[in-house]
Amino acid sequence: MDNKKNRDKNWLNLIVLIGGFIPLLLLGWSALQGNLGFNPVQTVMQRTGNLGMIFLILSLSCTPINKIFKLPAVGRLRKPLGLFAALYAFLHFAAFAIWDYQLNLGLIWNEIRTKPFIIFGAIALVILLILAATSFKSLQRKMGKTWVWLHRLVYVAGVLVVVHYLLSIKGDLFNLQGDFALPIIAMVIVSLLLMVRIPAFYQFLRHWFVKE
Amino acid sequence: MDRKQIRSVPIRPEEITPKHIYQSRRQFLKNMGFVGMGALLASCAPGLTPPDELPTGLPTDFRTDNMNNLLTSYDAITGYCNFYEFTTDKETVDEKAQDFVTSPWSVAVTGLVENPRIFTMEEILEAYEQEERIYRMRCVEGWSMVIPWMGFPLQKLLEDVRPTSEAKFVLFESALVPGQMDNANSDLFPFPYLEGLRLDEAMHDLTILATGLYNEPLPPQNGAPIRLVVPWKYGFKSIKSIVRISLVPDQPPTLWNTIAPNEYGFYANVNPDVDHPRWSQATERRIGDAGRIPTLFMNGYAEEVMPLYEGMDLEENF
Repeated sequence: MDNKKNRDKNWLNLIVLIGGFIPLLLLGWSALQGNLGFNPVQTVMQRTGNLGMIFLILSLSCTPINKIFKLPAVGRLRKPLGLFAALYAFLHFAAFAIWDYQLNLGLIWNEIRTKPFIIFGAIALVILLILAATSFKSLQRKMGKTWVWLHRLVYVAGVLVVVHYLLSIKGDLFNLQGDFALPIIAMVIVSLLLMVRIPAFYQFLRHWFVKE
Repeated sequence: MDRKQIRSVPIRPEEITPKHIYQSRRQFLKNMGFVGMGALLASCAPGLTPPDELPTGLPTDFRTDNMNNLLTSYDAITGYCNFYEFTTDKETVDEKAQDFVTSPWSVAVTGLVENPRIFTMEEILEAYEQEERIYRMRCVEGWSMVIPWMGFPLQKLLEDVRPTSEAKFVLFESALVPGQMDNANSDLFPFPYLEGLRLDEAMHDLTILATGLYNEPLPPQNGAPIRLVVPWKYGFKSIKSIVRISLVPDQPPTLWNTIAPNEYGFYANVNPDVDHPRWSQATERRIGDAGRIPTLFMNGYAEEVMPLYEGMDLEENF
C-alpha cells in the first residue's frame, strides 16, 4: 500500500517537473528560431506572466482537490507548482527590468512608482520569492506556526496577480469596455479557489461532489 | 518639416524595396529577438552560444525619416498593428483581416459643408495626387515605427467640400462590417470606431489621408483602402478604413476617449510629460530595434504643430 502511494507521488512529481519546464524550453526554442514576433520583449513578458499566473492557480487548486477528493498526492504538488509560479514570475520581471529597461534603475523605479498595475505585480513577485525561499522542508519544521502563517500570503499573491492582470488591460474595467475576457476568467477561478477555503463553502462542495 | 521629405514624383522602380531586402530585415529582426532573449536566458543557460548567423541582415534600404531614423520593415508594419474590429491580437490581425472587401469603396463627406458628396475610391485616387510621406508612428502602448505612407493632405479634400463657418471639428467613422469583422458585434467595444480632430488640426499640412505604404496599396489590417495619419498624435487617432467624414460644430465623441477619458484624451498628442497609468510615455520601443528610446514631444513634430496649441495647457488638454 505504501509502495503504491509512493509510486503515485513520484509519477505526479515527474509530470509536474516536466510540465513546468516544457513552456520554458518552448520559449527558449522560439527565441532561437526567432519566432517571438515583431515585439519579442512584449511576447516574452506576456508569456512568462501568463505562465506564472497559471502555475499559481494550479498550486492554489492542490489543497482543495486533496480535501474534496481525498487525494493527498495531489495536495503535495502545491510546492513544486508554486515554485514554478515563482520562477515564471521572476522571468516575467527579468524580461521587464533586464531586457526591456536594460537595468536602467531610474526608469524602472519611475515605472514601478507611477503605474499601479506594476506595484501590484511587484508585491506579488516579492511574496512568491519569499515563499520560494522558505519552501524547504527543514525550514518549514523549524519555523512551525510562523511558516503556516507566512505561506498563507500566497492567497494575497493570488489576489494581487489578478488585479495586476486586470489593470494591465487597455480599456475601462468598471464599464467592461476592453479586452477583459481572459483576466475575468482568471479572476473567477482565483475567487473560487479562495472561497473554497471558507469552511461553509467547502462543506457545501463536498456534499455535492462526494456522495458518501 | 524638411520639405525634401515630401515627394510627389512617382517612385522609380529601383526605389521600391525588393523582397529579398524585406526578408533580410525580417532575419535581422529575428536575430534581434535572439539577442534579447539570449540576454534574458543567459543566467539560465550559461553554455548558450550565439548561432552561426550573427545579425548581419542590416536593412540595406537606408531611407530614413527627417530625423535619420531607418524605415521599419514592410513585414513589421503589416504584421504588427491594432485593428480591434478584427481581433485584439496585433500579430494575427493580418490573417483575420485578409478577406476584408475594400473594393468597391466610397467615403461620404457630410455635415457642415457647402458641397457634401460621396467620393468613390477611384475618384479620390484620381482627384488627389498621391505623394510619399515618411512619418514616425507612436502607439499609446509604447511602441513605434517609421512608415513610408502614400497619401495626400486631408486639407485638399476638405477645401473641395468647403466647410461652413460653423464647422469646428471633423468626425471620422470606420467601416463596420459584421460578416467580415469577428469583433464587430463585441459588447466589449462600442463600435463603430470614431475619431475626431479640431478643424485646424485636420487642415494642417502634416495631416494626411493615406492610401498606401511602401508604394503598395494599404493592406486591410493597415486600414485599407483609406485611413487618416496624424503623425504627432498617438496611433489610435489615425483611424482606419474610413467610410464617413463629417464636419461638426462641437467636439465629437471618439472611441477610446469614450471608453476611458482619463487615459485617452481627445487631443492625444504625443507627450512624454503626460503619463499613462499603464505604459511609459517617456520612452518607447522602436519595433525592430532592441531597448528603448526617449519619446519626443509631439513625436518630434513640435516645430510644425505647436502653433495649433498656442495658449493651451497641454497637460490639462492631453
